[in-house]
Amino acid sequence: MLIDKYSRTVYNLAFNFCGCSDDANDLTQDIFIKIYKNIDKFDESFNISSWIIRISKNHCIDYWRKNKKNNFRIDLEDNLVRDENSPEDNLIKSGDLNKLREKILKLKPEVRSLLILRDIQNHSYKEIADSLNIPLGTVKSKINRARIQLAKLYEDR
Amino acid sequence: MNCNKFEELLSAYQDNSLSPDEKKTFTDHMKLCSDCEAITEEVDHIKAILPELNRDVPFFLKNRLYLIGESDEEQAPVRNYAYLKWVAAGIGTMVLFLNLFYFTNIFPAANKTLHTAVAGVENFVVEAEAFIGRIKESNNLFIFKKTEVITKANKKKRDAKAKRKTIRGFKYG
Repeated sequence: MLIDKYSRTVYNLAFNFCGCSDDANDLTQDIFIKIYKNIDKFDESFNISSWIIRISKNHCIDYWRKNKKNNFRIDLEDNLVRDENSPEDNLIKSGDLNKLREKILKLKPEVRSLLILRDIQNHSYKEIADSLNIPLGTVKSKINRARIQLAKLYEDR
Repeated sequence: MNCNKFEELLSAYQDNSLSPDEKKTFTDHMKLCSDCEAITEEVDHIKAILPELNRDVPFFLKNRLYLIGESDEEQAPVRNYAYLKWVAAGIGTMVLFLNLFYFTNIFPAANKTLHTAVAGVENFVVEAEAFIGRIKESNNLFIFKKTEVITKANKKKRDAKAKRKTIRGFKYG
């Protein structure tokens, strides 16, 4: 079923794109409604995963453009790390992750979606290029620039 | 190598896809430039922690998504009639232009053709009305004749009945 296979991809793209779990829930729901409404139009000779990634990315960018004036907020408790490390380590790690999420939101929407797909969701460059119909070289250079920009933003803290 | 070129090649270096010469130039620059070295370390660091932002879909959301899937399966296919508005717009535009050409003489050729066409249609309507009138008339004649035949037959029956009554009158009267 589509939901079992792709809900994680869609949800993580939405969540890291807007930085807030409430918005991510709404976005994921909207994206799946869109997918089900347009499933008849899907050409079966293409890869469904690419099609879903493209719909998700476009929907996230539209949502961002419509709502960017409302200032996206980050839920700090969303990334509380609770693993086997000491509570202090977990707190530091949570702080790092929240800082990183905050900085990701400062990237341009187009570049942000590429970075999320590559470095958070671990899709290959080729998969991203095929999904979004962008040349492979462009994808690589955009992701490279996004990483450097994010590193500089993160360094400033 | 300058810092801009260094940044351009950073991902390729991390992916280990630089040629040996490029790699050497890259590492030489990194040894000399502390800023580029710091950026490389920072990119390495964020690349290592970014996958930790990948998280599971909340349970309640997954349930909601299943409901969307189910409700969609039950729905009857929706017909798209959006094209009708374009058809209506096309017809409207055509009518507008035909009126323009008919009532004005902007394009004399079109005006003449339209007037001829309208006259043709009018003639056709008059002839069709006359034809329908003739058919109606012939149908009336047919009905009239039929009625007359029936009347004659009835008259025969009536006469026979009267005759039988008279005979009965003679018998029992």
